[in-house]
Amino acid sequence: MSETISYLLMAWSDPNLLLLTALGTFAGIYIGAIPGLSVTMAVSILVSFTFSWEVNSALALIVGIYIGGVYGGSRSAILLNIPGAPSSVATAFDGYPLAKLGEAGRAIGLSTVMSVIGGLAGTLVLASAAPVIGDMALKFAPRDYFLIAALGLLLVGSLAEGSLAKGVFAAALGTVIGLVGMDPVTAQGRFTLGQVELMGGIHYVVVMIGLFGVAEAFYQLHSLDVPAVRQQVTKIIPSVAMVLKFLPLSLRTAVIGVLVGALPGVGGDIAALMAYDHAKRTVKKPSRPFGQGAYEGLVAPETANSAAVGGAYVPMLTLGIPGDAVTAVIIGALVIHGLNPGPMLMVESPHIFWFTVGNLALANIFLLVFGLMGIKLFAKLVELPKAMLIPLILVLCVVGTYSINSSMTEVYWMLGFGLFGYFLKVFGFQMGPVILGVILGPMMDNSWRQAMASVGDNPVELLGELLSNPVSLILTVGITLILLGKTPVSGWLKKKCKCTPVTH
Amino acid sequence: MQNTLEKRLVGELAFVCLLLALAAGIAVEAWGIAGFSGISSPGAFPLGISAILLLAGGRILFDTLRRPDSGAGNWLAAARQFCAQHFPRRILVFTVLAVAYLASIQWASFYISTFVFLLLSILYLRSGRPLAALLTSALLVGLIYLLFTLAFSVYLP
Repeated sequence: MSETISYLLMAWSDPNLLLLTALGTFAGIYIGAIPGLSVTMAVSILVSFTFSWEVNSALALIVGIYIGGVYGGSRSAILLNIPGAPSSVATAFDGYPLAKLGEAGRAIGLSTVMSVIGGLAGTLVLASAAPVIGDMALKFAPRDYFLIAALGLLLVGSLAEGSLAKGVFAAALGTVIGLVGMDPVTAQGRFTLGQVELMGGIHYVVVMIGLFGVAEAFYQLHSLDVPAVRQQVTKIIPSVAMVLKFLPLSLRTAVIGVLVGALPGVGGDIAALMAYDHAKRTVKKPSRPFGQGAYEGLVAPETANSAAVGGAYVPMLTLGIPGDAVTAVIIGALVIHGLNPGPMLMVESPHIFWFTVGNLALANIFLLVFGLMGIKLFAKLVELPKAMLIPLILVLCVVGTYSINSSMTEVYWMLGFGLFGYFLKVFGFQMGPVILGVILGPMMDNSWRQAMASVGDNPVELLGELLSNPVSLILTVGITLILLGKTPVSGWLKKKCKCTPVTH
Repeated sequence: MQNTLEKRLVGELAFVCLLLALAAGIAVEAWGIAGFSGISSPGAFPLGISAILLLAGGRILFDTLRRPDSGAGNWLAAARQFCAQHFPRRILVFTVLAVAYLASIQWASFYISTFVFLLLSILYLRSGRPLAALLTSALLVGLIYLLFTLAFSVYLP
């Protein structure tokens, strides 16, 4: 027990580790906030120059960058409507309208506190329930992964403003983009148009930077003559009453974040979107209508995406399966340091598990400090003339895209996606479903084929498994209910319930 | 349902038709992968997705057609209005500058092309103020060098 506590407090008591965690968190906030710079990219670069370091020092810096980066993405989402990370897509839905209303300071302050609550909740779950959640995730069959991904796409599609058809179209289009390249099983080209260059696929970061960075830059050219929004940053630290008001929603969405984050491959992006959807469905009287600056629409995704960080560590440390892209890179870092992430890690190197738990908690404390301190400085970004900011965004997008594979072709793709995204945006299509489709499409394809192969390509048998397996059944019922909720059937049922006379 | 009464945006119908044509092209490509040779073949999932694309695209077209026309007049007038509303000269010039920037990176160095792109873009978008544009561009290129080359050691084009 005393050993566990000493591992837990290692990062808190060692000045070197303390400094590295603080540095990582601070840098992570600003890396996450810069459009075109992703936390995945930053962690990938870090791994390359920290492999000669002592493992705890490397992990301290990486954990700080991860925690800070996930949170930092929300800043550009709020101030510029450009999510710095996929997990901040949902933050922009209400965060940007809040900035336009002159409440950016309060929005960032509240998002900071809620991120810390979510992050600490995720860490607590990681520490207390990791083996249990790991066992749950281990029991998932390929059909369940398919259903989870379908649920994610359906949810993000249903979030699209105005039209479910547009949301579904965008998600399906993203899925097709995600499938471009060589089939992993038969090595056959799919959607490559016979081009050898496309056999390697299109990296989702290229699509993300194009759709969120370049498309937004082009879209912002319409409002070039509008003076920059002067942000109200006098009220930064949210009042206790405000925090307490949103605490129940924050705790509920923290649970969503941890659970979704613990699902392999499903990270903070889906957690945030699911939490936003939860808020939309359960909050009857939001502070403002959702999409127009509702604080509830900010609290839910911000808590969930931070809680998902702790969740994402669960399958990584207990099963060796990454919870998201960043933990996939961290697995690589652990292997470089001679560690073996998976069930044996807890037995062979328990100090790594408890050190990570303590380090995550510490990074969240630093997040609270740096998050609330640097708001005024960062808010000045939006006061920069757009005529300077827009060209700079394009340059950052070019740098960010080129750094993935050092390919100029991908930079051209990024610009192409940006122009396409601009027109999609003009005609009322959302970008979030496209990105989710790109990320989840290959996973769905793989899970579908594994699921079908497991039942000998017999759809009836698959249906039987969907109905007989508890996890599959819950997911199937969830998907069916969401689908029914978006069809005239739900309206008819509601009408029927209202019209049914009460009998005494 | 209120949205169905809103007028179509100029060019919206053409854009939706193009999206539907894209969906049809994707369906043809998906069919070309493996036809419908098996429920777990490489082409099965892409076929399913392309069917969803076609269905959703059809529904979007239906919804668009139900809304009143934008009232732009003949196609020439509509094209003019489309350009004025959605692709004004400012966006056109910035697109040309962006493409020229990407093309110039390969034969000029990254820093020189970035500096020229920032300078020309800021000059055009701010309608003048050459000294401020020159100083800003130089400052931004310096920051990019410090951040990406020195701090992060990122591979630059």
